Amino acid sequence: MSESSLRKATPGRLVAISVTLLILLSPFLWLLQMSFKSNDQILQFPPPLIFTPTLENYISLWHSAFSASFVNSLLSASLSTALALLLGVPAAYALSRWAGRGKHALSFAILVTRMAPPIAFTIPFFLFYRWIGLLDTITGLVLVYTSFNLPLVIWMMQPFFDTIPASLEEAALVDGARTRTVFTKIVLPMVTPGIAATAILCFLYAWNDFFFALILTRTNARTAPVAVVNFMNYEGWEWGKIAAGGSLVMAPVLIFSLAVRRYLVSGLTAGAVKG
Amino acid sequence: MSESGIDAERRSFNVWALTPSLIVLFAIAVLPAIYLVVTSLTPFQLTNPGSATDFSSPLRNYGLLPGDPRFVNSLLVQAKLSFWSVLFQVLIGMGLALLLNVPSRFVEFARTFFLIPMVLPPIVVAVIWKLIYTPDISPLYYAAQALHFTMPALTSSVDFALTAIVIADTWEWLPFTFLMVLAALQTIPDEYSEAALVDGASKLQIFWYVTLPFIMPILVISGMFRLIDSVKAFPLIFLLTSGGPGTLTEVTNYYAYLLAFDTNEIGYSSAVTVVMLLLVCGISLGLVWMGRRREALA
Repeated sequence: MSESSLRKATPGRLVAISVTLLILLSPFLWLLQMSFKSNDQILQFPPPLIFTPTLENYISLWHSAFSASFVNSLLSASLSTALALLLGVPAAYALSRWAGRGKHALSFAILVTRMAPPIAFTIPFFLFYRWIGLLDTITGLVLVYTSFNLPLVIWMMQPFFDTIPASLEEAALVDGARTRTVFTKIVLPMVTPGIAATAILCFLYAWNDFFFALILTRTNARTAPVAVVNFMNYEGWEWGKIAAGGSLVMAPVLIFSLAVRRYLVSGLTAGAVKG
Repeated sequence: MSESGIDAERRSFNVWALTPSLIVLFAIAVLPAIYLVVTSLTPFQLTNPGSATDFSSPLRNYGLLPGDPRFVNSLLVQAKLSFWSVLFQVLIGMGLALLLNVPSRFVEFARTFFLIPMVLPPIVVAVIWKLIYTPDISPLYYAAQALHFTMPALTSSVDFALTAIVIADTWEWLPFTFLMVLAALQTIPDEYSEAALVDGASKLQIFWYVTLPFIMPILVISGMFRLIDSVKAFPLIFLLTSGGPGTLTEVTNYYAYLLAFDTNEIGYSSAVTVVMLLLVCGISLGLVWMGRRREALA
């Protein structure tokens, strides 16, 4: 029997799925619609569901310090991604081709550095940065994010290299090519999709970070997630700006996640354990 | 090039490719961990010069831990938070996976949208729930008001504060368990349940005797993943309750943060963090061991 009579997309089931999705996403949609409301509309009761959307929150963000934090987020996330790939991709290839003993122990040791709760790194990083003057700098953030993303790169990229048959490289090696050349000219072009997916996941991890940025930055290197929280201040909460800022922070995440949804699970579980 | 020449060439490449990563990981992951242990042996306070190198009674911090009611409380709070949120995430995730396990283009398209809460930046998730829990502007409170029902303040209430965190955490992470269970469900051959159906089994019986045994391992594993990660619920607690009311939602992670960055008790905070790390590592290693055993049995 090819099509199960138990698993059928009946109209009732499709309605149930749609309703569930709507309920699940309603908190998220509420933030989104609020970002297009004026402050008066936000405080109105009952809340108007149909209203003339305004861009005033986004415009005032553009003219505020928030735009600088957005640039800080972009810079620290992309630089740390580049650095983690530069270091991690060759390492993943070496681990993939390494037949020696200790391969699994080493891979696991690399992963362990990622399992620890961020606070374990924050205290030493904070003290060290304070000492050498890296607090509140993009360089400081890039270093932390690189240390968090490097294990992810190594773990994500290994399976991609594993799928490339060794015979392909051996032919070139027998002809006298250097491994370095084989790696850059033959192997790397074949794993470009894997590199792209890994890069996006690294970018998202750095982009999503709140904890490190909260503690290791003040004003100069403040990132967008921290800036959003700063709209909840003593003079009262600027909900319009909070909603618009939150929406801006999640925009790249939503776009990129759609692009790499196939790799999402392996990327997310690499943070935990692979037995 | 001869065989051994290739091997030697490979070996030198491996060294060249691995060394930079290992140096970096050592410098920015292993060294900090060692330094954390070192500071945990001192009474280090930022305001107290010399305290960072005072090793006169190295185990003092660890000795204080069992008698510190906030530390003991934080472990209990974490246990409660982890237990309920992991339980709900596994159950609701499984329910969603069963609902969406149908071959249909529309459903495949919809699946992606079910993942949204999990990929959102954690601080945005916290902002979203802050919005839901803030009486003046929350749709939840609007609805209650329209129904002439007085809603208690959820995040500052002794009875609801932890529940409020559990709800938000469950919302954020149930896509993860959903995704894992769905993947497991799709490996079950339809023939099994078809055969049971022909034999006259009810849908409930099929679920209980065919589906559930199949997905049990993945339920356990995804629950374990979430358990390990549940100590990272920092943004939710930071924004929604700040650990309060009192210390009702103060998990160990948050307590360590307050100690280090609010009261400057770096040394004591390090000790709290080391204990937390050991607990997380213990659970993780238990997981790996379970995974190995499963592989050996399979």
